[in-house]
Amino acid sequence: MKTSFVFSGSGGQGIMSAGITLAQTAMRMGKHATYLPEYGPQQRGGSAKCTVVISDEPIISPLPRRCDNLIAMNNLAFRRFEEDLKPGGILLTNASLVTDEVNRDDVTVIAAAVDDLALELGNAKAANIILLGILIGATDIVSKEAFAQSLEEKFKSKAPEVLALNLAALDKGIAIGQQHKA
Amino acid sequence: MSEKRFMKGNEAIAEAAVRAGCRFFAGYPITPQNEIPEYLSWRLPEVGGAYVQGESEIASVNMVYGAAAMGTRSMTSSSGPGISLKAEGISYLASAMLPALIVNISRGGPGLGSIQPAQSDYLQATKALGHGGFHAMVFAPNSAQEAVNVVYNAWDYAERDRNPVLVLMDGCLGNIMEEVELPPMKELSDEDLPEWSLTRRNGRDYQGNITPIYTEPILEGINAMAGEMYKAWEEEDVQVETYELDDAEYVVVAYGIASRVAKEAIMELRAEGYKIGMIRPITLFPFPKKTIHDLDYSRVKGIIDIEMTIPAQMREDIELQVAERCPVYEYGRSGGCLLDDEGVYDAIKDILTGGADNG
Repeated sequence: MKTSFVFSGSGGQGIMSAGITLAQTAMRMGKHATYLPEYGPQQRGGSAKCTVVISDEPIISPLPRRCDNLIAMNNLAFRRFEEDLKPGGILLTNASLVTDEVNRDDVTVIAAAVDDLALELGNAKAANIILLGILIGATDIVSKEAFAQSLEEKFKSKAPEVLALNLAALDKGIAIGQQHKA
Repeated sequence: MSEKRFMKGNEAIAEAAVRAGCRFFAGYPITPQNEIPEYLSWRLPEVGGAYVQGESEIASVNMVYGAAAMGTRSMTSSSGPGISLKAEGISYLASAMLPALIVNISRGGPGLGSIQPAQSDYLQATKALGHGGFHAMVFAPNSAQEAVNVVYNAWDYAERDRNPVLVLMDGCLGNIMEEVELPPMKELSDEDLPEWSLTRRNGRDYQGNITPIYTEPILEGINAMAGEMYKAWEEEDVQVETYELDDAEYVVVAYGIASRVAKEAIMELRAEGYKIGMIRPITLFPFPKKTIHDLDYSRVKGIIDIEMTIPAQMREDIELQVAERCPVYEYGRSGGCLLDDEGVYDAIKDILTGGADNG
């Protein structure tokens, strides 16, 4: 089983970080994973995209044209990559910023205002972890425990509140994702 | 003892270099290879090595020349535009018969080109890495793991031949993170310093001299020695992977990232019943001439060159071996537009079903 993910948005929204953490978690669970970042010359505010492929078998091509899951953090990214989502795939949008109409009726759409939800939790920067939580809740691509371990690893040098915030964001996301589970 | 890590291709190259005994790096920043100098800037000091961000590419490659002359395993890295600037220094390394590792993480070209990945430096790497008609062995790994493997052995070739070695890998593979298994640290001592190195060793005074300047007829003799060395590489050092060639009617030739995308398409086409295989050069120089030359052309109906550059650059080397015994086709993306599995599948299928011209 090979599953592909495109995370898209703009620099500063945690796109790359989300992709790496998901791929690392898959590897932690004994799966194979590749992560490919793509960005322009700008950093914060520029277009940001990464492609993650997770598979039980070694990954041959890390460059799929179309993805099984598209995560769009803003309108620009949503419009640019909407057509790259395979029929039957999951379209996960940050409804706080993605306001354009969805043209696809052959995919599962999950729209969640993750920027607002993250602010409610206390920090807008946790939006990407809520998104990943939704993805995990809806697809079981990795286990909650393994992902929490990756977060512990990622934030081990930060204050304990940072980890607590991200774990809360993960729980919040998983609860939303489970409502959309196929 | 080996260990597994999830690393970018660039970081994997840097760590493999350290474990191969590299203790000097000089370079100048350029995308998409910046993780190599970034990594080595903290990693080399940890192992008693030295890292220098030079004031330019030219200064950097000449610092490598100096360190290599002292017998230190040394390297520089860049991308196409920077490799062009280093060309003079690389030619001088070859002339002075100094071992060093040069890494080119390639991007779109020509000129400033694009910061996005491309395989646009094949001709530069294999035909003229600098002036004066010299060659370096050119390795083109297609995964972070293979990059580790070739970098780990690079100085063994470079010191054996007293000649620079080039690792050519596109920006995609440089930036993709995947699992790698790292080899143990090679522990080198003063005893391992090459005989010719300009360093005090075993109580001896400075020995020998390193020069990039020769006059006739000495230079002619040195050119002839180099020629013999290149021939020996062809006999001894070609590395190539073949896939499903036994009954193949069509054969894809692809290296680096293109070979991975192509292999996925080939597996799919095989499942549909098409008789198709692949030749993947791991060394671009020496080129796997024999593998392509010795195909059974009573069965093979076409060769398909797939590269992430337009026009294809490896095609001339392929055509020399095919010698008009079957058509050669090409497919590619270029200028920072990436190959993808469906695009390669469609292009190959078009050729297999007779929809494409060989042009």
